[in-house]
Amino acid sequence: MEEITEPLIPANETPQTSQADEPAPDFDPKTMRKTKPGLKRLILTVSVLFSFILGIPLIYKSVEIYRAPLPFLEIDSLSAEIDSDPLLFPCRFQAIFIGFDWKSSITSLESSILSQMTKLTHQGPPCGTCSPNHTVSVVLDSDSHCLQSRTGSCSWKCGSIGAADFDGDEETVDEVLESVVGGCSGSHSAGEVYTVVVMNTGEEVRAVVGKYRQAWILGRVSEAEAVSRAAEVFVKVFVNGGKEEGLIHGEFMPVGADGMVVLSFNLLNADPRDWIYDWDFQTVDETLLTPIIEAMKPVANISVESQVLYHVPKSSLSYWDDKWDSYIFSTKDLPFFVNSNEWHLDTSIAAGGRSKMLHFVVYIPSAEECPLLLQLPDGQISKTNSFISPMWGGVIVLNPQTCRKDSESKHPSRHTLLHEDLQTLFEVFMGQFRQLFGFKSDNLYIGASGTYNLLPSERGFTVWELDVLSRMHMCFNLHSCATTLGSLSRLVQSLPRMIIKDEIGKQVKYSLEAAKLAQTNASLGVYDASAVSSRQARSLAEDAFFHPSIMSVSYYSFEHCFAVYSPFFLPVSMHVILAALREWRRYKKENKKYMVWKAKMKDAS
Amino acid sequence: MALLLLLLRPILILSLFHFAPIFHSEAALGSVAEEDFSEELLLRPLPDRKVLAHFHFQSRAPHTNSNGRHHHLFPKAISQLVQKFHVKEMELSFTQGRWNYDQWGGFDPLSSSNAKPPGVELWAVFDVPHKQVDDSWKNLTHALSGLFCASINFLESSTAYSAPEWGYRPDSGSLSGLHLTSSEFESEGVGSGIVLEQTLTVVVQPSSQRTVRIYSHETKLQPSWSLTSIFGRKVSGRCVLAKSSIVYLQLDSSLVAELDSLQKENNISSTDKYVSEDFSSNACFEVSVKPDRVLKELKGFEKKNPSVLYEFSIDKYNESGPFDLGLTWTVPVAWSCQKAPLHVSRFLMGSGNERGAIAISLRSTELTNKLLHTDSNEGRCKLEVKVFQVVPWYIKVYFHTLQVFVNEQPQAVSDVVEKMLVSPSVDKVSPGVLEMVLKFPCGMKSAAITLDFDKGFLHIDEYPPDANQGFDIPSAIISFPNFRTSMQFLKDDSSDKSSILSKFEENSAVLAYTEVLLVPLTTPDFSMPYNVITITCTVCALYFGSLLNVLRRRVGEEERLENKEKEPGWLRKLYAKLTGRPLEPVESTSTSSSLSSSKLKFIILVAGIAVFWQVYYG
Repeated sequence: MEEITEPLIPANETPQTSQADEPAPDFDPKTMRKTKPGLKRLILTVSVLFSFILGIPLIYKSVEIYRAPLPFLEIDSLSAEIDSDPLLFPCRFQAIFIGFDWKSSITSLESSILSQMTKLTHQGPPCGTCSPNHTVSVVLDSDSHCLQSRTGSCSWKCGSIGAADFDGDEETVDEVLESVVGGCSGSHSAGEVYTVVVMNTGEEVRAVVGKYRQAWILGRVSEAEAVSRAAEVFVKVFVNGGKEEGLIHGEFMPVGADGMVVLSFNLLNADPRDWIYDWDFQTVDETLLTPIIEAMKPVANISVESQVLYHVPKSSLSYWDDKWDSYIFSTKDLPFFVNSNEWHLDTSIAAGGRSKMLHFVVYIPSAEECPLLLQLPDGQISKTNSFISPMWGGVIVLNPQTCRKDSESKHPSRHTLLHEDLQTLFEVFMGQFRQLFGFKSDNLYIGASGTYNLLPSERGFTVWELDVLSRMHMCFNLHSCATTLGSLSRLVQSLPRMIIKDEIGKQVKYSLEAAKLAQTNASLGVYDASAVSSRQARSLAEDAFFHPSIMSVSYYSFEHCFAVYSPFFLPVSMHVILAALREWRRYKKENKKYMVWKAKMKDAS
Repeated sequence: MALLLLLLRPILILSLFHFAPIFHSEAALGSVAEEDFSEELLLRPLPDRKVLAHFHFQSRAPHTNSNGRHHHLFPKAISQLVQKFHVKEMELSFTQGRWNYDQWGGFDPLSSSNAKPPGVELWAVFDVPHKQVDDSWKNLTHALSGLFCASINFLESSTAYSAPEWGYRPDSGSLSGLHLTSSEFESEGVGSGIVLEQTLTVVVQPSSQRTVRIYSHETKLQPSWSLTSIFGRKVSGRCVLAKSSIVYLQLDSSLVAELDSLQKENNISSTDKYVSEDFSSNACFEVSVKPDRVLKELKGFEKKNPSVLYEFSIDKYNESGPFDLGLTWTVPVAWSCQKAPLHVSRFLMGSGNERGAIAISLRSTELTNKLLHTDSNEGRCKLEVKVFQVVPWYIKVYFHTLQVFVNEQPQAVSDVVEKMLVSPSVDKVSPGVLEMVLKFPCGMKSAAITLDFDKGFLHIDEYPPDANQGFDIPSAIISFPNFRTSMQFLKDDSSDKSSILSKFEENSAVLAYTEVLLVPLTTPDFSMPYNVITITCTVCALYFGSLLNVLRRRVGEEERLENKEKEPGWLRKLYAKLTGRPLEPVESTSTSSSLSSSKLKFIILVAGIAVFWQVYYG
């Protein structure tokens, strides 16, 4: 369709109207016109264009997919908050000095312990520890006087413990202390009370950390030493759990989102043609593991299963070393020890969706690689012949007593691991288990001011360690909640055409609320409520992230939308815009002509 | 040497029996003191020059009070599956190819319980209240699909499964068998062990090494084979964990009969030739290894000759002296396996994409004649057949069109159908299920059942990836409750029986699966929506654009322009040529109207040509 925009009006064919008029002497139809240009068509095209522009939001609205509003800002602020301001709990400490005749006042002792503690927590306390404004109370108990800094519901009765009470072995001392001081803990909502008793008795300085929330230091120590030691026990042991820096990052905690841990114990016979080992794990489960599971109840719900696997070689080869007279497997090859193709360890059926599986593997090498030893990076042989893999579990290599295969008999020798063997194995397991949770496997803490003997608990974890664990668990839950929500928000923002159901929005909202609640409860020292809501926050966040509607791939991309609508809107919009433009240009031109003519007429008149 | 192995029919069946004490025969199995494992292999020459290999691995776990958490030999994953979903019995089979009921037999325990329909079949009996059965089923399918890395989870959809009311159950054969529930679930379940049977059944075509040499006889002589030629390796020793590992070589009863008659022709006195320990004097075939024991089947009521089992215990072989069983035929032998009472086949009738019919045809075999003529003089001899058929919802079966033909004569449905249970399909919810108990007269030669159906339409989202291939109708299950497959083998009183043999002894009904049908449905052109969108949009845009142009057209100005230009346009030249009139200078007003009318005529002409083209050549 051709457009005629130029007003080609020859002189001899001017319209009748202009002919009727008195022709102006210098009327040039090319540059002037006598009538006012019409606005009809301009208004028409512009109104069509305008209605089109008005229609764009409507179209956009109609092709829009449903996206529940997610609180992106709040998610970001939660992660920022957890990064910058880690979850800290109020803790109370009590230092009891017995039998010292110091001149300094209690308040000065208190302040010096506090300053020591702040010095020890130099670069900001990590997540899941105690807040830096500690509450320290000091008791100075000697024959002559009894001074007490704070008198609360849990006050120290002077003289209730004498030097004679520390004569017994450590276990009994621990029990005595627990009976005297232990009543304080738990009575308060504002956290547990950790006590250090410094006793002026004997020559040799001895420091012991008990199974409950007490530690004691015996010996003739100076005031400064007593203060620094008490501060160190408080900060390094009771607060940080006696961990070495950089062992396992505290943010990892092998507990599932539903608070379940499945301990899967596996006995692996690399080649049953050489020898077959079996075990009676059920008795181990009943006798040794049950108390530990009971003790861990507040932190995690643990279930145990076991199996024996056959024909399961490791995936990397070892080499023969004459020096050790055995096969050596070095540390750098350890990532290739676990043969995930053939070791059918994972049984996700019983574990359910959110539980954490921890695999403990006892590997019995075949006759071809017996005895098999694990070599440490410094060339030494691992004492326990075992290793752990964080968040996965541990492996113990158990060599048969004699590595000679009985070649005469056709049948392989069958053995059942004796109870004593199982007991030693179990000790290694326990060490690995503690390590997986970030604790030391041995019971000795070497601090800056001396060595501390940590009393081991027959339940695997001492009371103060469990405190550390539950604090860490809360922190870990909140941390993983924040990271999960952060990834969700990034994912949602990166896919603008993804459908987000209301349910996800709700889950995110509740998760954020639970996280907030956990934080406030933690700062108030309400441990139980904080644990519950932190767990809730994490599982809700994971529910939202793993919602089936997010998993589905079928969402229409913007390209699809464009492809569907462009065959109509592209040509039509070209027509509309061009028409409006042309009409506008024409109107301007004609108007100019009319103006010229009008000016001429004015001049003429 | 090029070794050609033709894998015809690998079937992998995982069957799980969580034995409750209510099953008396298996109660002894269920209460073993320790977990154990046994492995067995059954080899059987087939009449059509093939060899059947049936591997049977059985694991048993006793009931323990640890609730299935600690295991020594039994797979932990399976036991957890049983514990978690309260599975009482379960059978999962993966099948490729189809069992040839005519050639490979249809009347032995193997074909009845191990021959399965192509694809995946899963059936399970749960120990949960009725309401939870569907949930348990869905969870189980998902767990299995994870465990086996197969898309078993598609069985979760309610259109993919059904529960037979009084239909079939391969093992017990009782009528009230496969209820998916049991009311007394509290009392059972506890205090029972688990038995896991893993079987692999393969039919292979052995490639004879001597083909070249005896080419002339090859057509008659059965191919000789050995374990090396079939599987490419020898047995270098037993699995050290297995309680027993045994290889059986089975000779069919009809093969034994054939061999007997051959020997009689050669005037060799042959009473129990194949059973006797004197093995070398056999003239028809040679077995490379001397069997440890020869077992003979107890004569059944209908069997003339017992089938024979050679038992080879793998205990005494090791890597230095591996076990390599070979069978060499010296005399051409031809025999045929014992067939099912009726030969069953199913096919589609009708053409086109709208409607069709399913037909199941039953043809009597010689067995039926033999078996039933004996007691037909009683007059009320009836042959009972049970049919279980699941039809997907998009095949809309009209159950009232059920027609029965006996000996090619139409019969009243009520004369033949003893019982019938129909649950019609619900669109996108559940499949249609048909269960029938038919009673045929004994002297019947052939019978047929037909059902008409309409093909439904699916939503565009519901089509599978390769929709043009067609849609499968699953196999129908035909069982013959009057006929029992059970093989009892004479065995000296050794206390623990081999698991294959005890499996053979189970008295189960003869059962056959029909072919899978492939129904072509009307499949749309899947790019059609886009084409429609594009064409409609283009038309709309054209209309809209021209409307807009017409609205803002200035007729007066155009006419002036038209008059000004002297040369006629190409359209007018063409028009002048077409009409034969000389090109004349056009007048201002009249030409414009005549030109527009001629334009219109031209457009109508072109459109007419296009329509004509479309109708007759398109």
